[in-house]
Amino acid sequence: MKASETWVLKKTDVSKFFAGVAKEMRLVAPRYLFGGDVTFGVVESPGEIAWDYGHVIYPPKRFLLPHYEDMFRYECGPPRRIRLEAINEAPPQAILGIRSCDVSAIRFQEKFFGSPIVDPYYKARSDSTVLFSLVCNAPPKKECFCICCDAGPYLNAGFDVQLTDLGDRFLYEIGSEKGTKATEAGASMLVKAGSDDIAERRRIEVQADLLFETTAYLAKAIDFISADEVPDEIWEELGSTCFRCGACTNLCPVCTCYTVDDRAEADGSFTRCRSWDSCQYAGFTREASGHNPRPTFGSRVQRRFYHKTSYPYIMRDGRHGCVGCGRCISACLTKLGVPDVVKRIRRGMHKYLPAQDRAAEV
Amino acid sequence: MVLTPAKPRKMWGVTDQPSENLYMPMIAVVDEIFDETPDTKTFRLCFEDKEYAKSFSWEPGQFVEVTIFGAGEAPIGFASNPLEKSFFELTVVARGKVTQMMHELKRGDQVGIRGPFGNCWPLEAVKGMDLLVVSGGCGLAPLRPAILQILANRKDYGEFWMLYGARTPADRDFKYDLEEWAKRDDMHLLQTVDIGDDTWKDNVGVVTTLFDKIKIDARNTVALNCGPAIMIKFVTIGLLKMGFSEDRLVTSLERYMKCGVGKCGHCCVNHVYLCTEGPVFTYQQMRALPELKL
Repeated sequence: MKASETWVLKKTDVSKFFAGVAKEMRLVAPRYLFGGDVTFGVVESPGEIAWDYGHVIYPPKRFLLPHYEDMFRYECGPPRRIRLEAINEAPPQAILGIRSCDVSAIRFQEKFFGSPIVDPYYKARSDSTVLFSLVCNAPPKKECFCICCDAGPYLNAGFDVQLTDLGDRFLYEIGSEKGTKATEAGASMLVKAGSDDIAERRRIEVQADLLFETTAYLAKAIDFISADEVPDEIWEELGSTCFRCGACTNLCPVCTCYTVDDRAEADGSFTRCRSWDSCQYAGFTREASGHNPRPTFGSRVQRRFYHKTSYPYIMRDGRHGCVGCGRCISACLTKLGVPDVVKRIRRGMHKYLPAQDRAAEV
Repeated sequence: MVLTPAKPRKMWGVTDQPSENLYMPMIAVVDEIFDETPDTKTFRLCFEDKEYAKSFSWEPGQFVEVTIFGAGEAPIGFASNPLEKSFFELTVVARGKVTQMMHELKRGDQVGIRGPFGNCWPLEAVKGMDLLVVSGGCGLAPLRPAILQILANRKDYGEFWMLYGARTPADRDFKYDLEEWAKRDDMHLLQTVDIGDDTWKDNVGVVTTLFDKIKIDARNTVALNCGPAIMIKFVTIGLLKMGFSEDRLVTSLERYMKCGVGKCGHCCVNHVYLCTEGPVFTYQQMRALPELKL
């Protein structure tokens, strides 16, 4: 059994298989909550896993870059002596049923946090995480546009293990050494994939590709944004509707920016912790003197899109910073999701439209 | 000649990091505190770990992240003589939460230090050329190590002009240095204040009003600036008018920062992380960043 091999796992064996995986590591998987919502969480038994779920609004990136992550603890005393105590919790974990877009986002973050300077917290967590991704047979939501972003609905590389739902069985593709290792315990339950399994998989791929409703024609926006050709008026027009709630960046599976705080504990010690931050907040760049290099809503929306879709970042990260998961579309109250902004930039740059139509909402 | 800020020999997280975890500070002790102005103090710091202190080196223009235990962390530029190996000094204005708490430190208190971060002033590359240093307010602090290094190797450089502006005579940092530099005959120091008082004999006005009084050959001079954003803007305009080429204007930029290693995302200007690729840039490099709107 080695990487790049394709196997089949019967659905009747799935619970037993992942119970075997759970002996080595904790299982993080989508599960139904009261009321029918689905979120990722640590599951006690594989029976809880919602294999038929569609899409989760809260991305599983928080199991690698927690919303609130403790970095180290210190005590101030007795008289002025400081004791530092490092914290680096990285429990071995398998993230099951993660969608292709989120896998692409985690690979993006691993590259960002791993080079050129290595972030020890992210590295420890990503080293101890195995991703069992689940192919989308069809786009789970009408907002999905991963097909425009080279991040789904299935992956050719980047996964540790990729599962495809073939009705009564899963196609089980191994993509990495980590995936091979995690498979060892249940290897006896896997059978080699036959030509009919591969044919069925191919049919699903072709069918899924045709079902996308949302599109984002990023290529032209990348050109305009990289060359700084989008006029400030368009950014300000876009920014004029922003509530600076930060939902777009907090729900983005790619976004990595964080802030650092020293939290006072009840026992008198302090914990240095980092938490998600958002470039959409005015305080993101405001200095102690009160000077803010990004003073307007428009400049902050521009910042978000420059980071996501400009050539210098694409060169550095190897891809643009959007995986087409559609969460910013679902979350934004005022149409500042990636496809809408791209549409409005394209329209705003339209040579033959009268100015008022260029700025109008699409 | 294209002048670019120099890469430092040591940078935290890349070559100079005592532990595997680059977010863990090293403990240093406040050795001495000097009052500079009513809201500015200079802190002399020594590392507790003597072995680490020996290996610690930095270059003018670089900065450290200072942890004030119980308050948080803030980026502060080195302000002392780089030739002095046994300690280093940080000059801090009490503005935010961390810096206000830092002002309450006493001798013997411990702080956390991570660093050095960032690139440095191009002091090697400008050897043999004339120098013009323009600084305003606490912008003198990150330039002071460069000035002291230049004065220590004075014969390597040509004419040396220095312009310094502050709000009032009392708001001038490093008054002891300014007094000594004013006496030197191998450098020209011109000072100005926005609001003078009875004892002030020098120029009154913003720092650009001193430009009429300097005699330099713009073709063979490099300008090093640091100060408030508005000062840098008008100094740059003035110097370009005097005939400086864009790659001879060197500026230290400032942004809100958290991590110092290019991860937290706060200090980005377009795609450039000030903490790892800056903070020192030529005007030519800054022009390539549309966000600065130059």
